Amino acid sequence: MAEPRSLLPPGIPGSELPGPFGVGEYAARLRERLRGFARVQLVGEAVNCRTSRARVFFELRDADGALPCAMWRTELEALGLPEGAPADGAQVVVAGGCDFYPGSRTASPHFSFAVADLRVAGEGDLLAQVERLRRRLAAEGLFAPQKELPRPLLPRTIGVVTGEGGKAGDDVIAGLRRRGWGGRLVWAHAPVQDRHAAPRITRAVQELAALEAVELVIVARGGGSLADLMCFCDETLCRTVALLRVPVIASVGHHTDRTLIDDVAAVSCSTPTHAAEAAVPLHCGEARGALHRAARSLDRHGRRAVLERARALARLSRAPAEHVARHRSRLHQQTRELRAAAVRRVAGERRLTQGRAAALDRQAAAAAGARGVARRAALDGLALALEAHDPERVVRRGYAVVDDRAGTIVTSAAEARRAGAVRLLFRDDAVEATIDRRDTP
Amino acid sequence: MSDLSYESATGRLEAIIRRLDSGEAGLRETLDLVREGRTLVEFCASELEAVGQGLEELRLDELVARLEPAAPTSQAA
Repeated sequence: MAEPRSLLPPGIPGSELPGPFGVGEYAARLRERLRGFARVQLVGEAVNCRTSRARVFFELRDADGALPCAMWRTELEALGLPEGAPADGAQVVVAGGCDFYPGSRTASPHFSFAVADLRVAGEGDLLAQVERLRRRLAAEGLFAPQKELPRPLLPRTIGVVTGEGGKAGDDVIAGLRRRGWGGRLVWAHAPVQDRHAAPRITRAVQELAALEAVELVIVARGGGSLADLMCFCDETLCRTVALLRVPVIASVGHHTDRTLIDDVAAVSCSTPTHAAEAAVPLHCGEARGALHRAARSLDRHGRRAVLERARALARLSRAPAEHVARHRSRLHQQTRELRAAAVRRVAGERRLTQGRAAALDRQAAAAAGARGVARRAALDGLALALEAHDPERVVRRGYAVVDDRAGTIVTSAAEARRAGAVRLLFRDDAVEATIDRRDTP
Repeated sequence: MSDLSYESATGRLEAIIRRLDSGEAGLRETLDLVREGRTLVEFCASELEAVGQGLEELRLDELVARLEPAAPTSQAA
């Protein structure tokens, strides 16, 4: 390696190691060294296979370790392998050597085993087995029964299968508390770490489901490597879960390695917390609020139904009386208006008549005038003449009037004789007389 | 009421309130619906009450032991 450049800062005081060197220079030298390693063939499981525009990446794993591998797509395609190969879990032999991308100021360094050739060794690997079992269970229709089970909205008792003392249990409780759920939680602890745990998990699930009170079972694990999760791909466990009477919520999966229990369960969740929330879909606090609102709504409807109809009935019962009262009031009003109109009419007529009478008086007075005076004088003259002929006036002067006592005036001696009995009417009184000699010559 | 579930009860309750809110129910139907709704509310409230007492944690063997004592007693009887 070249001598340290003078622009670089001084090294660590007291250190006997050479340097400091520029990291890029060192990375370039490292690449040269790695590329100088012997080119070899390696065997292992290809997992986490992914493809970019130019290259194919995967990890080559076995029980003791793993290497990141990269291969040019053109070289892989030139091999004429089946579509999709290498599949996850495939046992493969690769040929190539170490390579190192030293990175730059803006790019990260990257180590990979550069694969120049590849051979698929067969499907006797872990994931290939799982895939075969998955296809078989699916073909038997065992993914469906759990999903068809009705899941309670508000279970009272929930069973949980998980490792004792694991974080998954705490996460389940946290999820349930988030829902405001305070029911009964039944723990069935079982080892959840390797393939041999499967029978214990199966038994725990069966025992929980056998209890009438348990309405739902959560199988929870916080995740792990594929080998760790293989117990959840066990055929007996998956067949048992598929045919349980209670729904199972699985939370054991991994975002890249989906276990078979995830497929057969009613619901598959990514975390135990989500599994708990799926177990109690209802938020209990919100449900109480909704129930309270429903109760108030019912009360309101009940009261309104009765009160509104009672008011309507009351209105109907009052209606006839109000109708009569309205008419009576209208009649009174009309009577008052009639009287007032009559009074106004009489007064008007009176004024008119008085006016006419006055006019007539004026006309009469005007007509009477001088002619009236002359008539009065003539009348007075006649009265005097009449008075001169009044018999009582003659009597008052000393004369007497004779009648036949019946009121008929006797005006001659002959009438006196024929009458015989007469009456003499003087000024002061009447005297009866008898005619002695009736017969006269 | 024994086979009634919380979800069916709330579903029926929502249907009742929708019907009442529509204003189309007559007096008799309204009173019947209100009566039925109150019964459902009581049921739902009891269900919520059952999961509102605070989380109770049991081990499976504890629950089994709690459920088992009834059996010998009934056999003895």
